[in-house]
Amino acid sequence: MTASQETIDQICKLLEPFNSTGKALTPDTEISADLNIDSVAVMDFVMEVEDHFDIEIPLNVVSETHSISDLAAVVDARVKKA
Amino acid sequence: MTANAARQDVEAAAAGLVKTPRSNRDLEQQLAGFKTIAEGLDYAARGLTGFNFYSAKGQLSHVLTFADLRSRALATARKLVSAGLKRGDRVAVIAETGPDFMAVFFGCQYAGLVPCPMPYTMYIGGRDAYVERVTGMLRAAAACAVVTSSDLEGHILAGAAGAGVEKVLTHEALQALPESLIKLEAFGPDDVAYIQYSSGSTSEPKGVLITQKAIMANTQGILRDGLRVTKSDRAFSWLPLYHDMGLVGFCLAPMMGQVSVDYISTPSFARRPALWLRLMSENRSTVSFSPSFGYDLAARRINGEAVTLDLSNWRAAGIGGDMVRADVLKQFSDTLSVSGFDQNAFMPSYGMAESTLAVSFSDVSQPIRIDAIDKLAFKLSGQAVPALETQDRDAVRSFVVCGKPLPGHEMVVRDEMGSVLRDRQIGHIFVKGPSLMSGYYHNAQATDAVIAADGFLATGDMGYLLDGEIVITGRAKDLILHNGRNIWPQDIEWAAEQVEPLKSGDVAAFAVEGDDGQDNVVVLVQCRVTTEAGIEKLRREVSAVVHHSAGVECAVVLVPPKSLPFTSSGKLSRAGAKQKFVSGELVEITQRAPQAAEFLAAAQ
Repeated sequence: MTASQETIDQICKLLEPFNSTGKALTPDTEISADLNIDSVAVMDFVMEVEDHFDIEIPLNVVSETHSISDLAAVVDARVKKA
Repeated sequence: MTANAARQDVEAAAAGLVKTPRSNRDLEQQLAGFKTIAEGLDYAARGLTGFNFYSAKGQLSHVLTFADLRSRALATARKLVSAGLKRGDRVAVIAETGPDFMAVFFGCQYAGLVPCPMPYTMYIGGRDAYVERVTGMLRAAAACAVVTSSDLEGHILAGAAGAGVEKVLTHEALQALPESLIKLEAFGPDDVAYIQYSSGSTSEPKGVLITQKAIMANTQGILRDGLRVTKSDRAFSWLPLYHDMGLVGFCLAPMMGQVSVDYISTPSFARRPALWLRLMSENRSTVSFSPSFGYDLAARRINGEAVTLDLSNWRAAGIGGDMVRADVLKQFSDTLSVSGFDQNAFMPSYGMAESTLAVSFSDVSQPIRIDAIDKLAFKLSGQAVPALETQDRDAVRSFVVCGKPLPGHEMVVRDEMGSVLRDRQIGHIFVKGPSLMSGYYHNAQATDAVIAADGFLATGDMGYLLDGEIVITGRAKDLILHNGRNIWPQDIEWAAEQVEPLKSGDVAAFAVEGDDGQDNVVVLVQCRVTTEAGIEKLRREVSAVVHHSAGVECAVVLVPPKSLPFTSSGKLSRAGAKQKFVSGELVEITQRAPQAAEFLAAAQ
């Protein structure tokens, strides 16, 4: 699965407020491992993504999502389905 | 009713959904006192009350009256038999909050099968850890089948393969099976009821075996003696149904008392904590429980919305599952008083899965009672000496009093030698009574380690009695001994968590025994700071507060965020953290923790 650059950009924008490390966000950034975001904040972020794109991301899919590009691919697939 | 509530009711009605009423007009309320779960459901099904499920966005998505639940459970029982399951077989079922889980759990009751509720995954990138955990649980339960949502089927197939469980059924596949025509034989009063997995580590899960007698005793205690439930009550819950507080407190007990419950799932709560309070307001809910952290989260997320809510009906705001924190409760009631929340509704409680759920409740009609004691006497002599009003705040430690044991249950506090202690002497808490588990499933060794011949369960908690009420001060097995002094790791953690930018759950303190038999104190700190100067500043400050609060040398080890292990009930696992540290799995993020290396060498 590949993700569109536009989706990646939008996800980075949504993720930035949660990024307290100051690290630059790239498609390869691992959302939970690289960014020191606690689990509740991650849930919060996933919710923002769902609301922004008006999709639902089931928890099993969340559990298999690591990087920003993984998440963008999930978003693209679900937006298309909707 | 608020405009919002009215709108929601209209929407739900348009979808053909009408939530269950608060109480049954034509059916007398019976607060447990049945012989089995199935008998309790047979009775509840004669009324109109039941379970209502709300979506992550707060919309009513499913209504399951107890009558619907009973007919679905009976049909599911016959399908489980068709799946080839035999009486006494363990059926693992992923406990997602919804009608499907309920149908399987109660279906097992009618078919004489032992349901084992299992967790689902909630974390980003959490698949592998989840599969490992499920594998361990399925193996420990010697599960004959596992029932899951289709969403999680891939994960569960992997877990089942690891555990050698051949039957993996999605809810759809189960429901597609024919209904066996054999005569169903529900569990009887002397049979087991279910196995709950929330004790033990990932590598060694322990299944708590609960009998019909135990669940009957505990639900009666909860409904009649603890909450004093009436027909005016309506419950609300976001607690996970694979945990005792969710399963027993907010599924089995309400059903045994024909009380309607409104649910959101735990992930929905984690995403939108304010939804809990908003839906409680709309449903005029009277009873809801949470660990302290839930109140903390909700109070911080409610923002300006508090003024639009009506929480004046909430009469039992229970706290359980972790150390009850008076500061968090105060913050919550300060924030929510504008919505009519009555701080006297707070109801501290104490319990554990090994005692089905509840051991004690504070008096529902009384305000919470806080016992302020002298910190020095607490540390040095193990005595809870009332603090003087003139004492400096730093010299005082405050604990929340968690109530008297349920009728028919006993609670004693003993010293290391097993002698029973008097009021205000701190020791090990033991409980006994009809709610106790019959043991850990297929694990006599672990059972014998906690239940003695005299029938008392060693809770593993430390505390003291006060006029017959229990006060919890911490966990026994985590106790640190230093120069003959008792140091509670909670104290160290609490102190360290006050250092910026640390938060609750960021610190784990424990002792590593050195060559000389002396305990060396290790403090693991989850570090989100990235600059070198910031890292060293954090290390210095934590070390300083530990010195100040516990008067002990320690090795401060800075570890990556989210690396500290937690139990399924959300408690910090100190034993797990220690094991990870000693095994070298958890290491300092920089190369500079000289003492830690020394302690580690001694421990290995």
